[in-house]
Amino acid sequence: MKLYLYGIVDSSNQIEEAIYGLRGCGVYSIPYRDIGVVVSEMGQATQGLTEGGVLEHEAVVEKLMADFTVLPMRFRTLVDGRDNLLAMMQSYYRDFKGNLERLRNKSEFGVKVIWPADKVKENIVNRLRSDQTEASGPRRSAGTRFMKEKFERYKIDEEFQTKADQFIKAMDMFLGKFAVEKRLETLKTEKLLLDAAYLVEKSQACDFREAFWHIKSAHPGFKFLLSGPWPAYNFVGLSKHDPARDAEQANLFAEVARSQALVGAGSV
Amino acid sequence: MIAHAIVETDSPDEFAEQIQKSQDAHPARIDANPENVEKGLAKLVLTLIELIRQLLEKQAIRRVEAGSLSEEEVERVGETLMKLENKMAQLKELLGLKDEDLNLNLGPLGDLM
Amino acid sequence: MTKSANVTLLEILDRVLDKGVVISGDMVISVADVDLIYLGLKVLLSSVETMEQLRGSPFAGPMQEAR
Repeated sequence: MKLYLYGIVDSSNQIEEAIYGLRGCGVYSIPYRDIGVVVSEMGQATQGLTEGGVLEHEAVVEKLMADFTVLPMRFRTLVDGRDNLLAMMQSYYRDFKGNLERLRNKSEFGVKVIWPADKVKENIVNRLRSDQTEASGPRRSAGTRFMKEKFERYKIDEEFQTKADQFIKAMDMFLGKFAVEKRLETLKTEKLLLDAAYLVEKSQACDFREAFWHIKSAHPGFKFLLSGPWPAYNFVGLSKHDPARDAEQANLFAEVARSQALVGAGSV
Repeated sequence: MIAHAIVETDSPDEFAEQIQKSQDAHPARIDANPENVEKGLAKLVLTLIELIRQLLEKQAIRRVEAGSLSEEEVERVGETLMKLENKMAQLKELLGLKDEDLNLNLGPLGDLM
Repeated sequence: MTKSANVTLLEILDRVLDKGVVISGDMVISVADVDLIYLGLKVLLSSVETMEQLRGSPFAGPMQEAR
């Protein structure tokens, strides 16, 4: 029986609420020591996984978020059978536990900012042009003209980047105050100045939102987007894993321990 | 059950456009199609050439900025870079590759270029 | 299709397709990276339609107009 995974939760208790996930199947938690993995059963046919399933997946994770700390699974993670699932849990237990501890009582908020890139560029170009002394002189040949164009474009880009960094720094100063961790992506496109994820303590969520509105009102020409609270998609960190190697290592240790016991028993 | 994720913005269309754009701009996911293996090699080679070309260009611009190149040198460097850029454009067109295709995702280090 | 539905879907996709816990191993049948391509608007349209069908009413999540 293939199991579809939604996330890891910080409890070995069963889910009280009746939750339905992909294909309308019931969602339940399989405990492993003091944590659990939330699954639903998936029949043999896995091709049917559609993008509509993304919303169903997300809906389940959101419900879990209300009662547990959740490490959300990437979409379309399946494990073949309970035994394999428990082996996986054994392999990742430390990682999961560490993350659950770190992310307890925290939610992720997404902040995106669109800035008036065209106007910024225009201002830069105007300023640079006015600074430039019109270079009269001998006829410009192709190579020199090429370099001049490249140089201008380089200068404009540099200024553009600098301006972007300034704005982002100012905004992050406010938002970062209430965040425990953050991930910032700057100038993903020319217009998308900032694409950020902030990890915020639940108790500080209000302060964080207030900071967001404050920044929004301080930049009338900019456009803002706030999303959340999300489970900490952007802040889950797993160490590199090779479950086969882990199992091998576990066997190795067992072997060594047995040998040591034998040696001990046989020592004079 | 449907997700109720809360997204607040007064410019949903613009953000949708920019998010879509940023996703498109990222290098395509691993293409395991064996037919495209050759194209994959060409892509890799061109990506490296493009990287070097960009580095050379930046170097040259910095030297122009610092004023450490004579007029004649600027002309010569400019001509060379121009030819290189044109050559790359030709190769890209020949192989049906776009600028977004010539990039490498280095995982946690981000994109190469 | 409500405009706001589009951007919400994109926000969800951005997280659910690419982030979160990624486990590997022989016993994991996670669909390979090959399949996880970013979706174009065409697919978005069909997803939102699925959403509306399932819910029985036009998608109107608890979105507020920004103050």
